[in-house]
Order: sequence, then structure tokens, then C-alpha cells
Amino acid sequence: MKFRRTIMVLATSAVLLGLGIPAAAAAFASSATTGTGWIRLAHLSPNTPAVDVYLYAFDNSTAEIVLHHVAYGTVSAYEPVAAGDYSVAMRAAGASATSQPVLSTSVTVAAGHAYTVAGMGPESGLRLQVLDDDLTTPPGRALVRVIQASLKQQVVNVSLGSTVLASSLKFADVSAYQAVSPGTETVTVSSGGGDASESVTLAVGTVHTLVVLDGASGLEIDNLEDASGSGQPPLGGVETGFGGTAPHGPASPAPWLAVIAAGSLLALTGGLRLRRSRQLRAGV
Amino acid sequence: MPARRPAAALALAAGLVVIAGGTAGLLLTRHSTLAVRPVAAGVAALPAPTGPIVAPPQSATPKPVARPASLTIPLIGVQTRLITLGLTAVGQLQVPSSTSVAGWYTGSPRPGAIGPAVIVGHIDSVTGPGVFFRLSQLRPGDKVYVRRTDGTLVEFRVTSVQTYPKDRFPTDAVYGPVPDPELRLITCGGAFDAATGHYLSNVVVYATEVS
Repeated sequence: MKFRRTIMVLATSAVLLGLGIPAAAAAFASSATTGTGWIRLAHLSPNTPAVDVYLYAFDNSTAEIVLHHVAYGTVSAYEPVAAGDYSVAMRAAGASATSQPVLSTSVTVAAGHAYTVAGMGPESGLRLQVLDDDLTTPPGRALVRVIQASLKQQVVNVSLGSTVLASSLKFADVSAYQAVSPGTETVTVSSGGGDASESVTLAVGTVHTLVVLDGASGLEIDNLEDASGSGQPPLGGVETGFGGTAPHGPASPAPWLAVIAAGSLLALTGGLRLRRSRQLRAGV
Repeated sequence: MPARRPAAALALAAGLVVIAGGTAGLLLTRHSTLAVRPVAAGVAALPAPTGPIVAPPQSATPKPVARPASLTIPLIGVQTRLITLGLTAVGQLQVPSSTSVAGWYTGSPRPGAIGPAVIVGHIDSVTGPGVFFRLSQLRPGDKVYVRRTDGTLVEFRVTSVQTYPKDRFPTDAVYGPVPDPELRLITCGGAFDAATGHYLSNVVVYATEVS
């Protein structure tokens, strides 16, 4: 009896093992791309002196990124970071890494999403603002938004050619993204106290942020390229093989399953006979 | 009666051996490419190319970069010049006419500029391996180098290697906008359909510029 049970268990597990393999393979193939998002750090407060900016992963007192002596108008490149919770702290430039930060805020990074964490407002009301940055453009278009970081001209109007990007945008405010036709156009910033203009090229499939800054004299426009992709993505997959190294013969598991089944039958038969001969010997 | 016992025991033993053999055969033919990372046998790993490696843009308003000229993947022995690729009349990605060179899609960002630069190469010809034969052997952390026409070098680090059925190709993940300099290396993979003369899947290697 014991023999038979052992054989049944062996045969069954062999078959189950065989069936389980394709499922494991599928799980391997569909494991998602890495859970990464992006963060960039910016100083957009005109009358605040330079700062050191620290990025900490949640529950970690050692900074993942430290940017030293970040002055007004600086926007860092995006850093890829694992999805999760982070905190951003600002200290006066040169202050000890263990000193109490002037400001700090928390930011949750979702996989595939990008964030700008910017010091905004006047020094007296400085705050760290987390902006959710867009990474998708409508087909054939470019995306653009405006950050108003001029303290001298507190309200501005911004247009791209004849397209109004922002009207009466107040200091430390951010306009919504707008889809525009790609190409080279003139950006004009107008305010009660002065105008500025600059030629910008917005390629198809790119995302831009225009930052209005206080310059040495008058306003300046900083054109940030936030993200870029293939403006015209190819359709479907790519035909990059002719089969010269492809494995030949059937990839079907059927022959091997048949072998396992035949083996199970053989073992079962043998086991049953063995048991019967034992029972006969025992005189049952 | 006792004469039966050796035969029965033999049958039992033989049956178990056959089960083991069948299971092993099934495992090896179904799973060999997934279970273990194949050794890049016969491929001498190339030395990493030398030259000043250009740092990724630190300002968010980067200067334009030069066009890509060549690609080196030391671990899998890839060293190839890069031709330029566009789209076919029906909007699909062109592929290199030679199976021994790779090409850069000119509609994608240049390697080292913000966004995913796309480089495509064949896994094989009708007779043997192509330039990207061993692409699927890359793993996260492996290095990829692109030399540009001005002689500058860009270093990328593999973050992910994926295989997709061609009828479910993730266009957004591969070609869509990203906010940092990245690279996509594409070739064929999976099963080969002899009836159509095409592989059924694409292998995509995702990499980001080393900062």
C-alpha cells in the first residue's frame, strides 16, 4: 500500500511539475519594468540666498542626493529614484548636514512619474512646492507650462506666438500644461513694468517648462526641456531577425509529457505487481 | 511467483527513471533560456572604450549633443558603427539592411540628450548570428557605450531587459517621453515562425545614462 502511494505521489508530482513550468515562464516574462520615478530640485525664490538641497529616502537619515550652493534660478537635471516616499530639505548654503533645515517637505514618487520640488515665494514666505510634471504629449504636439518666479514683476502674461500660455499669472504660481503645435516660436512675457521675449524651439513629443525669472536688468525666460520622446513613434514591433539561429524542431512539450506518462504507467504497473507478489507471499 | 519480483521491481525502477528523464527533457527544452543566464561562450568581452565620458546635463537646459556614430557593449562583444534609420512607408521602424550593423532611429532623441534614444539591430541572418545575437543576455547594471560623431563618449547602465510579443509591443514605454537621457536597444526574440519568416517577440533593453 505504502509503495503504491509513493508511486502515485511521484507520478503526480512529475506531471504537475511539467505543467507548472509554462506558468513560471509567463510570470518571468511579464515582470514589470523597474519601478523608477524622477525628481529634480529647484531654487525659484528671487530674494532667498543660495541653499544646499538634500533629498532623503523615507526613514533614511543619509541623503540620497545633495546639491550644494543652489542659487536662485537653478533647476537641476532629473534624477531617477526608486518609487516611494522621500523628503526634501533646504539648508543655508554651507550649513552642516545635521543642522535643522530651513524648510522641508515630503514627496511621494510614483513609478513612471516625475516631480519638481522647488523653493518658491519670497524669502519671508518661502515654501517648498512639489509639482507633478507631465510626461505625456498628445500625438503630434508639444506640451508647455509657465512658472512665474519674478518678484519684481508680480503679475505677468505669457504668450507663445499668438497662443496665450498664461494670463495674469501671479508670482510663485504655475500655469497648467498646454498642448501646442511644435516648431520655433517667440515667447513673450509682458508685465506692467517691462517685457521680455525669446525664441524657443518646441519639438514634437517634448514637454517644456518656461520659467520667468528676475534678471540683472528686467525679466529673463528660462526654457527647460522637461522630457522628450520619439515625436513620431514607429508602429508596432520591429522585424530584426531571419531565423538563422532559431532552434529547430517542435517546441511542443507533448513528447516529453508522453514520456512522463509512459514512465508513470510503467512504474505503476511494476509497483502493483510488486505489491501483489508480496500479498501472495504473505498468503493473503 | 517469486520469479516475478525482479521483473516488477525492474519495471518500477525503469518507470521512475523514465519519469525523471522526461521531466529533465521537459525542463531543459522548455526552460533552458529562462532558468540560467547563458554563458557568453566564445565571445571575448571587449574592453570598455576609452575617452572622456561626457557627464549628463546638469542644467535642465542642456546643450545639443552630436549624432551617434558607434555602439560598444563590452560584455557581449558588440562593437558596431551606427547607421541612421527612419520609418517605412507604413510607419514601421526601418531596420538595417545588413545584419552585422546596428542603426539609430533619427526620430528618437540623440544618445545623451533627454529622452529615449532608440537603437535597433538584428538577432540573426538566415545563416547565423547578427549584431544583437546576445542582446537578451544583458542584465541590469551592464554597461553600454555610445561614441558620437564629435568623439565624445556616453555611458549607459542597463536597468531592465524585457521580451514582448510583437502584437503587444509597448510603444509608450519604448518610445514615449522620459525626463532623463536613456537608451533603448531593440532586437528580435522568442519563437521563430518559419511560416512567416519572423520572430514572434521583440527583446528591449532599457538603459539610463550614468551620472
